Amino acid sequence: MHKEMKAFFVSVMLLLLVLTGCAGNDSAAPDSSGSDSSGSESNEPADPFGAYEEPITIKIGQELDPSDTSLPAEDSPLDNQFTRSVKENLNIDVEHYFTASPANYDQKVSLAIASNDLPDAMIVGPVELRQMYEAGQLEDLTQVYENYASPAIKRIIEGTNGIALESATFDGKIMAIPNVQLQADGVHLLWIRQDWLDKVGLEAPKTVDELKAVAKAFVEEDPDGNGQADTIGLAGPDTSNKLYATFLESTNNLYGFDGIFSAFGAYPGFWVEGEGGDPVYGSTLPETKEALSALRDMYAEGLIDREMAVREDSDQSVISGQTGMFFAPWWMGYGPLADAITQNPDANWQAYALPLNADGEYTPHLSTPTSNYVVVKKGYEHPEAAMKILNNLLDNESTFSPDKGGPGYYPLRLVFAPSDETEFTVKALREVMAGTKTPEDFKDMPEYKLLVSDVETVKTVKKEPYDDLNIEHWDPQADMGVWTRMYSLLVGGSPLVDTEINGVYSELYSQTKTMEQRWVNLKKLEDETFLKIIMGTEPLDSFDTFVEDWKSQGGEQITGEVADITSE
Amino acid sequence: MYNKGFAKHYYLMLLPGLIWLFIFSIVPMFGIVIAFQNYNPVQGILGSEFVGLDTFEYMFSLNDTASIFMNTISIAVMKIIGNLVIPLIFALMLNELKHMIIKRSIQTIVYLPHFLSWVILGGIILDIFSFQGPINQILGFFGIDAILFFGRADLFPFLVVGSDIWKEFGFNTIIYLAALTGINPALYEAASIDGASRSRMLWHVTLPGIRTTVVLLSVLGLGNVLNAGFDQIFNLYNPLVYSTGDIIDTWVYRAGLLNMQYELATAVGLLKSVAGFILISVSYFLAYRLTNYRIF
Repeated sequence: MHKEMKAFFVSVMLLLLVLTGCAGNDSAAPDSSGSDSSGSESNEPADPFGAYEEPITIKIGQELDPSDTSLPAEDSPLDNQFTRSVKENLNIDVEHYFTASPANYDQKVSLAIASNDLPDAMIVGPVELRQMYEAGQLEDLTQVYENYASPAIKRIIEGTNGIALESATFDGKIMAIPNVQLQADGVHLLWIRQDWLDKVGLEAPKTVDELKAVAKAFVEEDPDGNGQADTIGLAGPDTSNKLYATFLESTNNLYGFDGIFSAFGAYPGFWVEGEGGDPVYGSTLPETKEALSALRDMYAEGLIDREMAVREDSDQSVISGQTGMFFAPWWMGYGPLADAITQNPDANWQAYALPLNADGEYTPHLSTPTSNYVVVKKGYEHPEAAMKILNNLLDNESTFSPDKGGPGYYPLRLVFAPSDETEFTVKALREVMAGTKTPEDFKDMPEYKLLVSDVETVKTVKKEPYDDLNIEHWDPQADMGVWTRMYSLLVGGSPLVDTEINGVYSELYSQTKTMEQRWVNLKKLEDETFLKIIMGTEPLDSFDTFVEDWKSQGGEQITGEVADITSE
Repeated sequence: MYNKGFAKHYYLMLLPGLIWLFIFSIVPMFGIVIAFQNYNPVQGILGSEFVGLDTFEYMFSLNDTASIFMNTISIAVMKIIGNLVIPLIFALMLNELKHMIIKRSIQTIVYLPHFLSWVILGGIILDIFSFQGPINQILGFFGIDAILFFGRADLFPFLVVGSDIWKEFGFNTIIYLAALTGINPALYEAASIDGASRSRMLWHVTLPGIRTTVVLLSVLGLGNVLNAGFDQIFNLYNPLVYSTGDIIDTWVYRAGLLNMQYELATAVGLLKSVAGFILISVSYFLAYRLTNYRIF
């Protein structure tokens, strides 16, 4: 009895807190874009954009790419347009607790968790998030989210039908701030050297068979004209990439074979609906074996990069002009293509929503809306500082110049994007270029934070005719930063707008209990078997052994858990 | 030669080493407890829940366990033998060379790779054996199809052992050369007076003269092989060669640090101690049998 009273009292208190927090927000910041934020209304703690009166310090773990040379010479990773914005608007000093290159960041995070030697805040993935929650290392951010998340961020996070927030909620408490990423990041398009296609006299391949024919022509007919047999038909994953995106990492897989698998109706790494309606693991289904068989043939014929899986960095083969095709998301202008075009102005990379399946449909796998989280160390004095830094990012993102440092330098940067941002922006750009709308028509859309600058700058790099996207109708030298974004949007985003996408979602995008112990080994078994099948060092039928091993080494149990979760 | 009072100094000199050993090798051994726990980094070793032998049961149900254990032993043994025989032969050949300048230059050139880290050498070796690299160019000259050397699980252990020998043989050679200069020249004179040929002198004077050095190096090498494989293999391997190239250290690194399976990584790490214990026991036994070399 006593206990129940106490629980009731606490929950009423919580409810009150939450309600007042929400109400305070709504009245304080009706318009997030116009918030000139030095706490002018009042010094209520719940001001998402308010600056601290005394400077506070936040020590973060940050991923820094040592090959990123985008910062101006006078700036440093701790003193640049992004950190200055955080300091000026919020009076927060950002310090590094650790930094790591992209290749080593996950390892640093794991090490920090294992040794319980944590920064005040950092970005983690879903697996680390659960690990940290169970280890009791996280500050409860329920209040922080309710009171300090800016209305725009709340709209974006809640626009995922609760999926994003749910994935960061444990036992009813919000333990991390989830990102919301573009739907477009999960669609792995086929990128082709159009100039090579023209040279060998072929069209963009509609089916897997046509794709093989193109790859064959690219390998055998010396499309780069250097007289050597050194061209690669289809690039393959390098040592740090995956054969396909999975339910735990469902976006931004570079150089995988996602497109080929989905053309066979195979969704390895995804939980798909089986015959009886229960979830089954796509990697164990016959369609996957069929797709592996096709890839195996392609590899044996030399159509796929023969050094895949051993290569350190597949970017290099694209930049140096050896590669004719690869699978990757829409943003390749931000990826290797900017360097490729600098090396060779004729490299005319175009993107297609291809290949199609046997019924002529495009059926890629689709991603979860959230994959990264900002977590705050238990006991950090100002947990809301992390939230404020994120508010500031969304509020000011369009004012940052790509010439003065890449977005990766923003501390604790999470992507907050309405899931259709790419597609929406492409349509807007087209209307502006066609003259049916003017940049002024897009002023009032704070969630699409780059939209205004996009529609204003597109014509600096895109030459007429505006609907011809071949590289000769671009002017990258006019402004490389703008070109990067516009080429990604118009070339990479257009197929997403113009194609009917019959995508497939995974039934689950998070870990179950048994996965914590068993998944690493099961995934290793899967990765090795598939890689060996494709590269011809093991027979195709080792797939059947894999399926049996997978089931007996915990897969069966995990499938049951997934069914329990999805049937809830 | 020495009495009891003299020996005390030796024991005193041993003390810093023993303290070092205690702090860095004995104390961390308590971490083995993690293998029997459901380890939680916040609660630490003292606070985590005990689960008994669960982790070990799971470990032995994995296909990996047997293969990484065997890989570790086989690569270690091959390295020990290679690192013993090749430098020895090379040192003996160099010793026969009478032209001092040539001898010194060869000596200098072959021991240079010893000073490069595996991060650098790994990159160089991967390039040399890549499709466009010189090895495949030479093979192509003889009409042999290019081979993806570092994608071949059957070749990987030999590439690892070969490259390790290539890196270290120059350095080991110098140690042997030093031992060779320590042989009393009078022995050679006596042998030649007795009418021994050069090959006879090699067999009956040179080899017995450096026998203790050979044994000492091999015993010392054993302790290091299980540790020193990590840098090299980590910089050379990829998923295609895990089946034959994954050793205990690399596996523990992936399981423990990358995948946060602390209990499992610790349990497998115990295997490494077992492997090390076996190797050292065997070599100590052999050293005692072959050369009557013993520590205690």
